Amino acid sequence: MSTLLELRNITKRYGPMVAVDNVSLAIDEGEIVGLLGDNGAGKSTLVKIMSGVIEASSGDYLWRGDRIAKPTRALTEHLGLETIFQDSALVDKLSISRNIFMGREITNALGLMKIKDMDRISSHILDSVVTIEGIRSPRQLVGSLSGGQKQAVAIARAVHFKRTVLILDEPTSALAVRATEALLAFLVQLKSEGVSSVLVTHNLHHAFKVCDRHIVMNHGEVILDARRDETSVEELTAAVVEGTIGLERHRAGV
Amino acid sequence: MAIIENERPATVPPTRRAGGTSGLRSWYADRRGRGAVEVTALFVLLQIGCVVFALKYPKSFAYLDKANIGVMSQSIPWLAMLAIGSAVVMMVGELDLSIAMAMGMCEMVFVTWYSHGHSAWISGAVAITLGIVIALINAIIINVTKIASFIATLGMASFWWGAQQWYVGGDGVAPRIPSEKVSKSLETVFRASLWHGLRGQMIWLVIVTVLMAVLIHRHRIGNHIFAVGGNESAARSISINPNRVRLIAFIMLGTLVGLAAVLKGVQEKTLIPGTGVGYELEAITAAVIGGTALRGGKGSVLGAVLGVGFLKTFQAISLLTRLDAFYYKVYVGLMIIIFAITNQFFERRAK
Repeated sequence: MSTLLELRNITKRYGPMVAVDNVSLAIDEGEIVGLLGDNGAGKSTLVKIMSGVIEASSGDYLWRGDRIAKPTRALTEHLGLETIFQDSALVDKLSISRNIFMGREITNALGLMKIKDMDRISSHILDSVVTIEGIRSPRQLVGSLSGGQKQAVAIARAVHFKRTVLILDEPTSALAVRATEALLAFLVQLKSEGVSSVLVTHNLHHAFKVCDRHIVMNHGEVILDARRDETSVEELTAAVVEGTIGLERHRAGV
Repeated sequence: MAIIENERPATVPPTRRAGGTSGLRSWYADRRGRGAVEVTALFVLLQIGCVVFALKYPKSFAYLDKANIGVMSQSIPWLAMLAIGSAVVMMVGELDLSIAMAMGMCEMVFVTWYSHGHSAWISGAVAITLGIVIALINAIIINVTKIASFIATLGMASFWWGAQQWYVGGDGVAPRIPSEKVSKSLETVFRASLWHGLRGQMIWLVIVTVLMAVLIHRHRIGNHIFAVGGNESAARSISINPNRVRLIAFIMLGTLVGLAAVLKGVQEKTLIPGTGVGYELEAITAAVIGGTALRGGKGSVLGAVLGVGFLKTFQAISLLTRLDAFYYKVYVGLMIIIFAITNQFFERRAK
């Protein structure tokens, strides 16, 4: 399996504060990676660097082995990286269909949107890719949806546009239990289609269920990067909750 | 795969999913809370009321008289263009308080150039270009410095007010187009008498409204304007450039301000520097009446035009019933508050 995205020695400073400290990691094709850590561990900052929303202070960003000098959001989107942010990056005051096609509208030569086509395809996505109950029509405003429904719309958008890497920032935090199960099953299905995912979460049980590899962050550093068969829920818990000390203690068997 | 939403099963019965429910109801369900439907309904009711009264008491309430229709069809179009422009800028999440003084500046330039013997086309083009330049300056200040747009444009309002006085020179004599210089074709193009007092400005308004409605509600750029106004970080995260979208919204506003200035210049043929304080508030009021959210992300072009219709209908009522002029100001003030409340109510109902 080839490596899609690789970060080498990435550091991000905000003034004197170091949010991400010398982090290196790689995401392979068709792999689900769990990015774990407590609140404030630097996960969200790292996600923003990966998706090109913010620029790292130092370090290298590689895509399929090629170094990218300035990974902007436009560029990472072009590469096929889609991030589903915690706040799901939807516009409440626009319809579902306009959200799904936001920035990638189906238009004629004059730039006029083919709204009927957009609505029809949105309906199809919502029915076939992710079945979301309680949605009346693709013209419904996103603001009228619940947290889980919004999350599903954001995922539907990412899937429809054939992304190669899907980064999900705390996707399960707003979801009901059954919706979470469905989402995790869906990531596995995407994996079989060759789509990689990065699942950012502090729920270890969700992560352990589906992730092939786990990366634990603590105070901006990566303290553990292990395949599923090399680690356990207990070890991950120790690393997330107590950091390096917890990890050492767990390994010492204390 | 099924993402099952079981948080509020009682309020969202799955039967509603079954697509082709009663056409009208689902048509309304898709549109309510977005401003245009509500304001159109109210506007139609208001007009029916006025027409009924005018037919019943033609002497004391001459709403359908040639004179009244003439006044209304000349006072609505230019203000409606300002209102559309204000609405567009509000949709993208900004506020422009300098449009009245910017329009005055453009009008001043148009009247001066025309009275100095330039053709109407050249004078008009110069005025519209100036409108775009003024709006661009605002947009650049906002994009570069990130200061609140109402502060930036408040400053620019005072700037262009002063610039008007500077432009006419120290003696402060208002420029004027002498009536013998007004070409017949100019009058025909901009303010032809159509029928029963109706003036040609209305044709311009219809053209501008249709064009802007298509741009805002059908064109890709309109979707980007709503996206940036509704959730700027969401727009940025899917690689829409908010600064570029803001710039385009302000260019639209500038074009409309310039066009409004030409219409008003042809209509009145003179302008005392600094007149027009308060037009910007009337335009914003009209936009709010039409369902445009002050915080951005929502609004309607038709709504803004009908908002001006609301204001000017009341002005006509107060003139025809000989109410004192201050009632109009009281009315404008109350309208902005009442409609802001009702729009919020409809928006919440839609959720």
